[in-house]
Amino acid sequence: MEGFEPVIVGFCCNWCSYAGADLAGISRIQYPPNLRMIRVMCSGAVDPALIMEALRRGADGVFIGGCHPGDCHYMAGNYKTLRKITLLKGLLPQLGIEPQRVRLEWVSAAEGQRFAQVVTDFIGEIKKLGPNPWKGKNNEQAESGHRSGIDMLRV
Amino acid sequence: MKKVTIDPITRLEGEAKIDIFLNDEGDVADAFFQVTELRGFEKFCQGRPVEELPRIVPRICGV
Amino acid sequence: MNKLKVAIALGSTCSGCDVAILDLNEKILNLVEVADIVYWPTAMDFKIKDLEAFKSGDIDVGIYHGTVRTSTHEHTAHLLRERSKAVLSFGACAYFGGIPGLCNLSTKNEVFRTVYQDTASTVNPDFVTPQTEVKVGKFDLTLPELKDEGKALRDVIDVDYYLPGCPPTVMLREKLIPILKLVQGGELPPKGTVIASDKTLCDECEMKKENKSISKIVRTHEMIPTPGICLLEQGLICMGPATRGGCGTPCIKALVPCRGCMGPTAEVKDQGAKMISAIASILGVSEEKDLSAEDVAKLIDGIKDPVGTFYRFTLPVALINKKVGVK
Repeated sequence: MEGFEPVIVGFCCNWCSYAGADLAGISRIQYPPNLRMIRVMCSGAVDPALIMEALRRGADGVFIGGCHPGDCHYMAGNYKTLRKITLLKGLLPQLGIEPQRVRLEWVSAAEGQRFAQVVTDFIGEIKKLGPNPWKGKNNEQAESGHRSGIDMLRV
Repeated sequence: MKKVTIDPITRLEGEAKIDIFLNDEGDVADAFFQVTELRGFEKFCQGRPVEELPRIVPRICGV
Repeated sequence: MNKLKVAIALGSTCSGCDVAILDLNEKILNLVEVADIVYWPTAMDFKIKDLEAFKSGDIDVGIYHGTVRTSTHEHTAHLLRERSKAVLSFGACAYFGGIPGLCNLSTKNEVFRTVYQDTASTVNPDFVTPQTEVKVGKFDLTLPELKDEGKALRDVIDVDYYLPGCPPTVMLREKLIPILKLVQGGELPPKGTVIASDKTLCDECEMKKENKSISKIVRTHEMIPTPGICLLEQGLICMGPATRGGCGTPCIKALVPCRGCMGPTAEVKDQGAKMISAIASILGVSEEKDLSAEDVAKLIDGIKDPVGTFYRFTLPVALINKKVGVK
């Protein structure tokens, strides 16, 4: 689509992928600026609800960067990430969202060039998919205001 | 033309209304029973695993 | 003390919630000691104009059950809110959309196309569908408008209290009477109170939980579960970890896995997302170091209908709660 600049939200783990992105920056590697990065301590801590909320609020793509399998700073976090994201991507088509809008990549702290490359590649894919249909829709989830249950024994 | 409307029908499950049209003599010219709801079970049951349907379709009618 | 005036209004309902109130059996006499039911079309001959005739504050507790699906349901919800001092959202449909909320997976046109044309027993060559206004002969008829999506009650009006469940189980609806007694005495519970437990189903469930890893997802017809052991640990998908407790776990007691009809707990924004995390925490954990991305994909593939299982009752209040952009 002409002139479409995707908004990509990225969740990058502190120890590997965020450091990799830092390295790309320090090395002055050029790549498109569409990624808005959020640093998390571990990709395994990225709640699927955060990814869904980004999509609901109109993000055209969501990128999750983690350590290579076996290298997770917290031992097993990225294994969880793989299972979560695989399951999430399996569910999105039923909700009318292309699973290619969510991308999981393993990028190490030494892979500055690779970080720039996968992000550029992802932006290209999103450009082909077009804007997220949720853009501009009623994006605020109603403030539920519902609170805790009352202790069953007290009433 | 006079119209008598019963909205909603009561003391049963389901939503509907009845419009009764009277002619000038006060006799019934025509009467219409109209179901005023649609949930679409026929559509959203498609694609569900068959072993789950016995837990979904009872919600068609709780009575 | 004056008797409370209670109204029971409905949206898109199966009336299981009406029957749940009737299933108080002899305890309904305790209910009518505390309250006069001034509007209940399912059980008594009340019409919508009776609800319209009330003035603001005439109703002490307005109970609403059913998804908000048509313009009539919206109208009823607004009427109930205006006329009632407090509104209680009764049952899964009013609280978070319920099973009729699964209609959000299709557009209105797709639903009409299936219901009024494609189903095997339908004969409708001219594709006649419900219209909000139509002339039949010399008679003008109207129907309520079917909205594009099903909504939970709190997305339409301000709700004071919630009672989840599909339908609310015996344990829960019996709480209705002491709650109404509190209201009668002027001791209103804090706004937003959910009449259920604060914790997930797992807290209440009596099954033994030991092994935190499963190697395979099993469909409910593929096994007869061993009694006494957590169903999720046996490979069946049980929504317990993502579901509010307080129902008494009747399904688990029957060795049937939970499907989440009590909705999520207070802090959880999206029940399905929570369940994704829960499953990811225990599926293929003991062998995770050896699994490739393809192996993981195969494991996950054992979950046949993620949206229909994780969002069966809560789709309208999910983060991604409908299909958009589809004509």
